[in-house]
Amino acid sequence: MKELMSNSTTSISQARKAVEQLKMEAYMDRMKVSKAAADLLAYCDAHIGEDPLIIPVPASENPFREKKLFCTIL
Amino acid sequence: MCDQTFLAVVFGPCDKCSKEKPLRAVYIKSEQLSYCSLCVEMMATEGLHENETLASLKTEAESLKGKLEEERAKLHDVELHQVAERVEALGQFVMKTRRTLKGHGNKVLCMDWCKDKRRIVSSSQDGKVIVWDSFTTNKEHAVTMPCTWVMACAYAPSGCAIACGGLDNKCSVYPLTFDKNENMAAKKKSVAMHTNYLSACSFTNSDMQILTASGDGTCALWDVESGQLLQSFHGHGADVLCLDLAPSETGNTFVSGGCDKKAMVWDMRSGQCIQSFETHDSDINSVRYYPSGDAFASGSDDATCRLYDLRADREVAIYSKESIIFGASSVDFSLSGRLLFAGYNDYTINVWDVLKGSRVSILFGHENRVSTLRVSPDGTAFCSGSWDHTLRIWA
Repeated sequence: MKELMSNSTTSISQARKAVEQLKMEAYMDRMKVSKAAADLLAYCDAHIGEDPLIIPVPASENPFREKKLFCTIL
Repeated sequence: MCDQTFLAVVFGPCDKCSKEKPLRAVYIKSEQLSYCSLCVEMMATEGLHENETLASLKTEAESLKGKLEEERAKLHDVELHQVAERVEALGQFVMKTRRTLKGHGNKVLCMDWCKDKRRIVSSSQDGKVIVWDSFTTNKEHAVTMPCTWVMACAYAPSGCAIACGGLDNKCSVYPLTFDKNENMAAKKKSVAMHTNYLSACSFTNSDMQILTASGDGTCALWDVESGQLLQSFHGHGADVLCLDLAPSETGNTFVSGGCDKKAMVWDMRSGQCIQSFETHDSDINSVRYYPSGDAFASGSDDATCRLYDLRADREVAIYSKESIIFGASSVDFSLSGRLLFAGYNDYTINVWDVLKGSRVSILFGHENRVSTLRVSPDGTAFCSGSWDHTLRIWA
């Protein structure tokens, strides 16, 4: 009997928590997709010039594209 | 930028017990109050109020889920790729393997870049964790873990230590030393303890704290020095497979993805889940924040990658093709966020145009599934690790 009761308290507390979590998520402030998408685009535009994988930097400045071998003087 | 978009989780006096603690919002009879986590727990376990039964709570949960979908749909006025129509298309990409790191004796499971944009740590199924110099392909350090399947590894921000873990259910930190007389394994420090395998780990902004994700369904934040648990994050219904910290310097949030098909965004200070997204059809293997911190991408066993915007609180793009039927194991963005690199279980890496939703390129080279993929900190290259025992650097 005690197990049954504690099981129901656990599932009630779980259900309560789930309801609270959903309430919080439902009431959160959201913005329109058009505005959010515009912001993503703006960020991309602002940084695309610095992106070495899109605007390749000259081979001499990209350590991976350079052909010469690296040696260290010990 | 990230902090503004979420609920202000305040530190202050609790509305119920008046103690000064981190607070979270609760709704009682449509009124918003701030309770500390202890009072939230106590409220949840109090005896039934007059009209509440388990069934009524479940119905309420269902109706709230419906309301959540409605609220999200209201703001869905346009698709990302429609807004992106006016953006210039990208040119042709020539990306090749520039270095191949050979040395692991078995499947490479995870890798991470050092902030110096040069060193890489990788871990594999045979228990070996290796630190490489990616410019020269030399191995700088190697350590053998006492367990196999080291599924997670991370480089400390200072570059002076690495963290790794897997089937041993722990996350261990090894300080890196160049002293040839010192045995790296001797200085090992066990930081995290979970009750199931460690699937992902990451240092926060400093060497002092580590965030871990585990097959036991939880994530946890640990203090490295003392090994103490600082905060735990419960909410996933199944194994958590991946996590990523928000990029901002002051950011206090992270996103996690798991086998319950959900991606959840958490507040690190309170342990509360702030948002959750459930649109994938299968396990989420990898999550990565967009560089601005306002969105994140996920890669899943359902063969799709998806982009979720945190402020619009919904999925805004799906990256998929009918011809792609194998799961995506790992995703990462290029520096500007325009490209999404995704490694798949069909041995290929697909490069997606994030804004337009189209595939820009497909990279071949690995001879077995791609298990991990990270772009270097300065964006000049990205590294992929595979079950074919090698890592490849592409640029």
